Amino acid sequence: MEFLLEIRVEEMPLAHVRTALAEMSVRLAAALASRKIAVSALRTLSTTRRLVFVGDFAAGQPDREDVIVGPSKVAAFAADGAPTAAALGFARSKGVSVADLEVVRTEKGEYVGVRKLVRGQATSEILGRVLPEVVAAPSFPKMMRWGTGTFRFSRPIRGILCLFGGRVVPFVLDGLAAGDATTGHSLLAPEAFRAGSFADYEKGLRERCVVIDSEERKASIRAQTERLLTTLEAELYPDEALLDKLANDIEWPHVFSGAFPEAYLELPIEVLSTAMREGQKLFSVVRNGRQAPLFLGVADVAGDPKGVIRRGNERVLKARLEDARFFWEQDLAVPLKKHAARLKNVLFQEKLGSYADKAERLRKLVLYLGEKIEEKTAAKELIAAAELCKADLVTDMVREFPSLQGKVGGLYARRAGLPAITAQAIYEHYEPQSVDERSPASLEGALLSLADKLDSIVGVVGIGIQTTGSSDPFGLRRNAQGVCKIILEKRLNLSFGRLLDKALAVYGERLKKPKAEIIAYLRDFFAGRLRTLFEREGFRYDLINAALGAGVDNLYYARRRVKALDALKSSPHFEPMILMAKRVNNILGGPAPSAVDEGALVEKAERDLHATFAIVRDNARPLAAKGDFEQAQRILFRLEPLLNVFFEKVLVMAEEAKLRRNRLALLQAIRKSLLQIADYSQVVVEGERPKG
Amino acid sequence: MSLQNLILNLHHFWAGQGCYLAPSYDLEVGAGTMTPDTFFRVLDKRPWKVAYVQPSRRPTDGRYGENPNRVQKHHQYQVILKPSPADIQKVYLESLRACGIDLRDHDLRFDEDDWESPTIGAWGVGWQVMLDGLEITQFTYFQQAGGIEVFPIPVEITYGLERLEMFIEGKEDMYDLQWSDDVTYRDLRLAEERQFSEFNFRQATVKSLRDQFALAEAEARQLADKGLVLPAYDMCLKCSHVFNLLDARGAISVTERVKMIAQVRALVIQVARKYVGSGTAAEGGAS
Repeated sequence: MEFLLEIRVEEMPLAHVRTALAEMSVRLAAALASRKIAVSALRTLSTTRRLVFVGDFAAGQPDREDVIVGPSKVAAFAADGAPTAAALGFARSKGVSVADLEVVRTEKGEYVGVRKLVRGQATSEILGRVLPEVVAAPSFPKMMRWGTGTFRFSRPIRGILCLFGGRVVPFVLDGLAAGDATTGHSLLAPEAFRAGSFADYEKGLRERCVVIDSEERKASIRAQTERLLTTLEAELYPDEALLDKLANDIEWPHVFSGAFPEAYLELPIEVLSTAMREGQKLFSVVRNGRQAPLFLGVADVAGDPKGVIRRGNERVLKARLEDARFFWEQDLAVPLKKHAARLKNVLFQEKLGSYADKAERLRKLVLYLGEKIEEKTAAKELIAAAELCKADLVTDMVREFPSLQGKVGGLYARRAGLPAITAQAIYEHYEPQSVDERSPASLEGALLSLADKLDSIVGVVGIGIQTTGSSDPFGLRRNAQGVCKIILEKRLNLSFGRLLDKALAVYGERLKKPKAEIIAYLRDFFAGRLRTLFEREGFRYDLINAALGAGVDNLYYARRRVKALDALKSSPHFEPMILMAKRVNNILGGPAPSAVDEGALVEKAERDLHATFAIVRDNARPLAAKGDFEQAQRILFRLEPLLNVFFEKVLVMAEEAKLRRNRLALLQAIRKSLLQIADYSQVVVEGERPKG
Repeated sequence: MSLQNLILNLHHFWAGQGCYLAPSYDLEVGAGTMTPDTFFRVLDKRPWKVAYVQPSRRPTDGRYGENPNRVQKHHQYQVILKPSPADIQKVYLESLRACGIDLRDHDLRFDEDDWESPTIGAWGVGWQVMLDGLEITQFTYFQQAGGIEVFPIPVEITYGLERLEMFIEGKEDMYDLQWSDDVTYRDLRLAEERQFSEFNFRQATVKSLRDQFALAEAEARQLADKGLVLPAYDMCLKCSHVFNLLDARGAISVTERVKMIAQVRALVIQVARKYVGSGTAAEGGAS
């Protein structure tokens, strides 16, 4: 039977709508499943003012037969089969005759019992009981109360429509009774109307200027946009997030275009598109990749025949652009260096000092990074970028449009005629904003971003703030992922441990936590981020473990290790080698000395192994050192047949201590070489892998 | 329609909704939210309905009268309804119609915009109301004030009068607005904006401002200790405004900023607690 629930709310943000739909569906489905009500369909629809659940559920619970167990068979019947007082009493208490009793086998033996048919409850009744819990299920980042109620939700709930099989499901939530009525568009058709089914409901809403399906609204915005763009011979500056927001916020979308004076085109596209997006939620329009003096907007109306909405938006946008131009000119009238000088008055973090302090640390860190990496960097330009990268935080433009931090500094640096490398590094130094977004294109931008993020992480952890569960108040995880992403993408070959030491050292005495504690925490923390990145890339978990087991001091090499394992995992030599490595490990147990006395190698098999190992090691070592783990591994594979013969012909645990020690030392030397490539003991081979 | 007619329409409308029409508060404040008619009245348990115009000063927004949209003193129309009525959005839309705005021609949206004021330990959930892309109102359900969870929940509706009037008159320059039929905003306010911008940014004596802050802060403390929460709160407002002036003068260092905000906040929270705990709330003596 058809189920329809509509919760009418005051305008909810998109993220909250998504949370509500997801968490309420899960709760509803679980509540029905636990009560044995079959659910053949359950889907959700929404606008910013409506959370809608449409389902197809069984009309009621299935009937079921319960067996009620009474006295034991021995106690219930005498030897001649006549019922005892116990049997008679039990039958009477259950309202049946003795003839209805039957024998039930239980773990404890034979008992008498009676079968009772229990009628299933009607779904409607059950819904009435569970729906208040279902609506209370979602947890929003910020919960509110309203009026004199005690219920907490994302925004005030103002009405409930709930039907099952065309009838109202009676329930009350915080004083609000469910019914069969809803309302249309808040301005265009606010009157209430009744619905008897989802088809009724959807049609009724459409007649009252509400499209209930957000996908349909999105498609409508897209189609209208395309039509307008064709006429304008232009393209949209893509902004999926804005499209999603508008498709949520607007029940009856009408797309319109508007223009602004060409004079404002002197402002960079970053500023123009941000001014349009923030505040008015307008799309910026481009022609041949350049900003056009046009915008597209989406209004919650049937049309704009008099053009008042277009003109209103044009007027507001013009004022915003005028402001932006004022900021642009004012900011540019002051050299970036002078802006930077004011950073001593801007707090980075209470215990970590001002942004001037941060800039000073960044200067030292990028200097270090520039020296440590193999690639050549423009040192002077990079240091200038570190000194100036936070300067835009005190500019009017960033105060007005905080999301443009970094970019504005870069644009100002370019305008001021600073070297292109410096300007670009400043521009890019907040990238990547998330794992899915791009990293800085320039090496200098990458190093500055790396230094900035690492400095924040080390500082925040150093004053005792850690991430717990899902909370990440200082963006530690995001920043750490950014650090890993940059190192991997730019293939930065450097010791991460020493970099951490440096980042700690530049803080001087500010960090109160013991250094060893900070380092230990951060090593684990970064290993965790690296693992997440590798998992996202689709590497097998055991290969990731094997690669990380060989060390995470060089993040770039950790990735090359997992790639090498991945590349060779289907080689016919791979599994035999893994098994052999495990055998070596097993026999060795804990650590052992690895100095081999050549004179004490008596058997041919051990002499052969030793001789080949010397060659293999000398060939593999330089390859591993430069990160070519694939080739190094291929060379190591050559040890496998020799090890095989060795284990066959030679008794490692020889009676004579000298021989035994020497053989263990040889194996230990081999294990050490293997560990430079990967911790093979972590690799799961056929037969070891868990079933299913 | 002139700005004063807009105010008259709003007065008429909200008086009709049962609001008491309060006079503007006679101290410098950054927003209508900060005056006792809102701050104290949202804290206690009794119903409350009030509407008033509040001149609001934001020294750093001064533009020497040269920016058509920004001024260091603007006017808010502040409404508080406690508890928030179930049909409040509808009532709000009615108030716009009462100001002569035909909503059928326009795009009106409630756009997510939660509000927070750390200085007075307050936050709420709500929207900015956008009319054809112009933000005309802040609409907020208070959840906390003075560090205290409020109940019943008040709703605050704050109209930006200049913005709304620019919309109604279709003007691009605030100074072109008609305050009354024959007095423009320019006549009334241009000289003031120029002089106060000069004062806020360049001429205010930093030493004197610091002294004023210290004096008001000490006074607030001794008054709060004696349970005189209403004058104590006035002193907090003075602190807050002097702090804003020091900020506009660029005279506040990192550590000072943190310290001064914390000082004011601590005082405000103390005042709020005493108000709720003491007899003042029951006496109905907030204004």
